[in-house]
Amino acid sequence: MTEPIILDDVCVMLGDRLALDSVSLHLDAHRIAVIGSNGSGKSTFARVLGGLVSPTTGTVSVHGVDPVRQSAALRRLVGFVFSNPDAQIIMPTVAEDAAFSLRSEKLPRAESAERVRVALEEFGLTELADRAAYDLSGGQKQLLALCGAVIRRPQLMIADEPTAYLDARNARLIADHLLAPTDRRLVLVTHDLELAQRCDVAVLFEDGRMTGVGDPADLVSRYEASLAC
Amino acid sequence: MLTLYRPGTSWFYRAPAGPKAFVLLLVVLAVSLLPSTYLSAAIAGAVTVLAYIVSRVGVAELGHQVVATRWIIVITFGFQVLFLPMESAIANTARVVAAIVIAALLVLTTRVGDLLDAFERGLRPFTRFGLDPARVALVLAVAITTIPVLTRLAVGVREAQRARGARAGLRSFVIPFLVVSLKHADELGDALTARGVS
Ligand SMILES: Nc1ncnc2c1ncn2[C@@H]1O[C@H](COP(=O)(O)OP(=O)(O)OP(=O)(O)O)[C@@H](O)[C@H]1O
Ligand SMILES: [Mg+2]
Repeated sequence: MTEPIILDDVCVMLGDRLALDSVSLHLDAHRIAVIGSNGSGKSTFARVLGGLVSPTTGTVSVHGVDPVRQSAALRRLVGFVFSNPDAQIIMPTVAEDAAFSLRSEKLPRAESAERVRVALEEFGLTELADRAAYDLSGGQKQLLALCGAVIRRPQLMIADEPTAYLDARNARLIADHLLAPTDRRLVLVTHDLELAQRCDVAVLFEDGRMTGVGDPADLVSRYEASLAC
Repeated sequence: MLTLYRPGTSWFYRAPAGPKAFVLLLVVLAVSLLPSTYLSAAIAGAVTVLAYIVSRVGVAELGHQVVATRWIIVITFGFQVLFLPMESAIANTARVVAAIVIAALLVLTTRVGDLLDAFERGLRPFTRFGLDPARVALVLAVAITTIPVLTRLAVGVREAQRARGARAGLRSFVIPFLVVSLKHADELGDALTARGVS
């Protein structure tokens, strides 16, 4: 199948804080949950994989691509969904925002329109195509953000607390879309431990260090135990 | 006052964005250059009504647009009537409102994407002066999208301050608003990168 995600002794300094502290990992699993308390380094880890932050030291390989040296290749490989539904919409209307993701691919007009149509349908946004994006509800905006990422057909989807701003129903909707069986890999940063357990493997972060990787149920109970004391 | 595209099917909707923008620009210019007389006010009004009928956008929508500009009407007229004779005040206000409402026809009947494409094509001759039309179009698009978001952030800052009993003041507003706006810009930057803008 796809190539693994490999980190070798990765450190990331942000300001004067060591946000990631010698993280080494080899990930083959399809759906990877990332858990840990506030400030433990989850987002930094996700941003390193997505090429939004460069490691201060160490090397990273995402499906055989070096995020620092091969940033263009990485962009084609990776889709990213963030928490804040408002800060991910670029274009004024729904259909245009979805189409925006295809701009850099320079597709023929008809093909790009067809891909937008299919993607909007997949996320139940067809009826809203011409609506102003800021008129949407938070859940609809997050669906649009996901749509904008999926439409580029990434091999790897990175989602950093994609359900953080949503109510239970919308959170479930987004989670179901993300976890649905596809051939794209998922790295899902989440505080929702039930969601983490729906993944194939979990990675636990504590204070910038990666302290465990393995069966989600095991790691979740370990994490909960560490919270209790 | 942010008029937005409403889907429609008449010929005016389907007309290509570039020529449409150009024609509307000419009409707006013509209306703006009318002399300040009662006759001009009548002509400006008639041209506006005609534009909304011919484009099949409809007189009802014209009504909405005029209502949307009510503060502009009040302020423009209010200032003018203080310093100018009644005839000039009425004619000037009519010209300003007609120009805005006619210009709104473009935004109402054209998808922003098409508008930006046309804009990009229109700017292409300036490439030789080091201008990147795609960049400029992108900045405009982001600006259009971001204005309502910033408005909401501003309201949020105000409410948070009121909830803590802070007194309304410009200085106590500006700093927190700047902070949330910059945070928003930061997040938007990440989203742009993630979606292939380099
Ligand atoms: N831009 C920055 N400058 C300085 N320090 C930062 C910056 N961004 C994050 N940090 C610090 O790096 C550490 C790791 O942050 P990170 O955002 O990766 O944590 P997280 O696990 O995602 O937390 P949360 O659950 O709150 O999202 C934290 O101590 C944080 O304060
Ligand atoms: Mg985080």
